[in-house]
Amino acid sequence: MKLLVVEDEDSLRDTIIRSLEKERYVVEYAADYHEALLKINDYDYDCVVLDIMLPGGSGLSLLEELKTLRKKESVIIISAKDSIEDKVTGLDLGADDYLTKPFHLAELHARIKSIIRRKQQEGEMNIALSNITVYPDRHVVYIDNKEITLNRKEFDLLYYFVTNPNRLISKSALAESIWGDYIDQADSYDFIYSQVKNLRKKIKTAGAMPEIKAVYGFGYKMIIDE
Amino acid sequence: MKLIHYTIRNLSFPLLIIMTIWAAAFYILILHEIDDETNDSLQNYKGIIIKQFLTDSTMRQSRPDIMTRYHIHEIQASEANLANDIFYDSSKYIDIEMEYEPIRVLRTNFMTSDAKYYELTIETSTLEKEDLIETIFISIIALYIVLVICILFVTRYVFGKSFKPLYTILDWLNKFRLDKPIKPLENETVVEEFDILNKAIMDASDRSTSLYGQQRQFLENVSHELQTPLAVSINKLELLSENPDCTEEQLSDIASIHRVLNGIVKTNKSLLLLSRIENKQFADTKNVSINEISDRSINEFNEIYEDKQIRLNFVQKGILRCTMNESLAGILIKNLLKNAYIHNRQNGEINITITDNSFTIENSSNYPELNREKLFNRFEKQTGNKKSTGLGLAIIKSIISIYDIRIHYQYNGKHQFILTFR
Repeated sequence: MKLLVVEDEDSLRDTIIRSLEKERYVVEYAADYHEALLKINDYDYDCVVLDIMLPGGSGLSLLEELKTLRKKESVIIISAKDSIEDKVTGLDLGADDYLTKPFHLAELHARIKSIIRRKQQEGEMNIALSNITVYPDRHVVYIDNKEITLNRKEFDLLYYFVTNPNRLISKSALAESIWGDYIDQADSYDFIYSQVKNLRKKIKTAGAMPEIKAVYGFGYKMIIDE
Repeated sequence: MKLIHYTIRNLSFPLLIIMTIWAAAFYILILHEIDDETNDSLQNYKGIIIKQFLTDSTMRQSRPDIMTRYHIHEIQASEANLANDIFYDSSKYIDIEMEYEPIRVLRTNFMTSDAKYYELTIETSTLEKEDLIETIFISIIALYIVLVICILFVTRYVFGKSFKPLYTILDWLNKFRLDKPIKPLENETVVEEFDILNKAIMDASDRSTSLYGQQRQFLENVSHELQTPLAVSINKLELLSENPDCTEEQLSDIASIHRVLNGIVKTNKSLLLLSRIENKQFADTKNVSINEISDRSINEFNEIYEDKQIRLNFVQKGILRCTMNESLAGILIKNLLKNAYIHNRQNGEINITITDNSFTIENSSNYPELNREKLFNRFEKQTGNKKSTGLGLAIIKSIISIYDIRIHYQYNGKHQFILTFR
C-alpha cells in the first residue's frame, strides 16, 4: 500500500507518517502544492491524505488536477476548516472523506482502511481480524462463522477496534467516532466504559481470539497474538 | 405604521382643523352678507315708502302682503328717535300658510313737515334666506368632504410617485445578505437626496461585505492556527502512548494531558461556532421540525447518560416547525438537552413539552435558582460543574437572536427554559 501525505506543517506531517508507517504502509510526503503536484503527476498512490491550505496553492486544486489526470487515487481531506460548505466542496470534487483537524490518529487509520477496502473489494466488503469478521454495511458480526448480536453502539465500537488492532485508542477518540463531534465527549466516558465492558463480555463468550484490554486512564486496546 | 399612513394621519389632523375653520368662516360670512342684502333692500323700501307717504299722506297706512308688509302709525315726539334704524329677526303667523314664517323687521321713525312723528315698521319674509342657508350649509359640507378626499388621494398618488426610489432601496436592502454576492442597486432617480442615499447604501454594503469577508478570513485563520498545533500535540501524545516502553504511570500522565488538550479543542470549537453564528455564516434555512430533532437527540442523550437513571417525559401537544438552519436547530435543542442532563441529579427528572409555538424543557437539579442576568454570558459557570465549558447558553442565546425566538428562564423547584417561536 502506497500513501501520499500532503501537509505543510512539519511536525504534524511527521507524526502522521510515523503512525502510518507502523501500519506497514509505504508513505511518501509533500510539504507544499508544487511538490504534491509533481508527485501525483509522476507516481500512483493508493490513497492521498490531503491538507487544503497549502503554501503555493489550494488542496482543492490538487483534487481537480487528480480528476483531470483521470487518476484513481482515493483522497482523504484533512483540514482545519470545519464548515459544511468546505466539506461539501471537497466531497463534490471527488474526495472520499473529510477529517477536521484536530483528529485522532486512530480515526485517520479507520478511515484510510475503510477507503482502501472499499476500493479493493468490489461487492460486499468485510473486515476480518483473526476469527472475527465484521460486515460494516450490513452491521453484522461473525465470530468463528457464527453470528453474534450486538447493539448499534457495541457494533460501532467493535468496528473501531477491528480497524485499529494493537493500537491504544483513547476514550475521546472512541466517543467521537460513535457520537460525532458535537456531543461532549467527557460526559460519555461512563457510557463508553459500560458499553466496552458489555462488548468484551459478548465477544469473549463467543470465543473471539482478539481481546479488548483496558489501559488505565487512557482508553482501550484490542490485542491479537500473532 | 407605514410612512404613507403616518403622513396621511399627520396631514389629516391639521387639514381637518383648517377646513373646519375655513368652512365656519365662509358660512358666517355668507350669512352676514345675506343679512346685509336684506337690510339694504329693507332700507331701500323704507326710502320709497317714506317718500310716498310724505307726498301723499292719504296713502294706506299698512299693506298686508305675504312677502313684504309695512305699517305706519303716529307716535309721540318724545318717543321718537330719528337717528337709528332698528333691524331684527322675528316671526309672524301667516293665515294663508297657517304657520309661523321667519321675517326680518326694520323699525324706523320719521317726521313729516307738519312736525308729526311716525313709526314705520317694514317686515319682509326671509323664507328664501332659510333655503339659501340650508343650501349653502349642505354645499359646504359636500365641498368639505370632497376636498378632503381629493387631498388625501392626491397626497397618496404624489407620495407613491416621489417615494418610489425609497421603496426600491428598502426592497434591495431586504434582499441584501452579507454572505451572498451583492446585486447592483438599480434605482435611477432625478431626486438628489435619493441619489445620495443610493450611493451611501452601495458604499456601506460594499464596506460591510468586505469587512465580513475579512472577519470570516480571520476566523478561519484562528481556527487553522490553533487547531494545527493542537492536532500536532494530540497526535504526538497518541503516538507516545503506543510506545510499549511506557509505564502505567506515564500513560496516566499522558492521558490527563490528552484530556486537557481535548478540553481546549472543545472550547476552541465552541468559540469558533459562536463567532460563526454571530457572523451569520449559517445562512441556509429550511423548514425544520423541532419535534423530530428533539426525538432524535433525546435517544442519543438517554444512551449517554443512562447511568444517571433520569426519567424523561416527552409530551408533544403540537407540531413545532420553524424556518431556520438545520444544524443550528440541532445545536439549539442538543445544547438545551445537554444542560438538562449534565446539571441533573442522579435519578432526576426531565420534562419536555412541545406545542405549536413553544418548546419547554425543565429539569430537576441540586443547584439553586440561577442568576437570570448573567445566565447567557460567556464562560458563566453558575453551577461550578467541571464538565461545562460555560459556552452552552451563550451559543443558545446567539442562535435564538438570529431567528427571533424568545427564551425565558424560570425556577419552580425545577429549572425551566421556555423557547417561544414566532
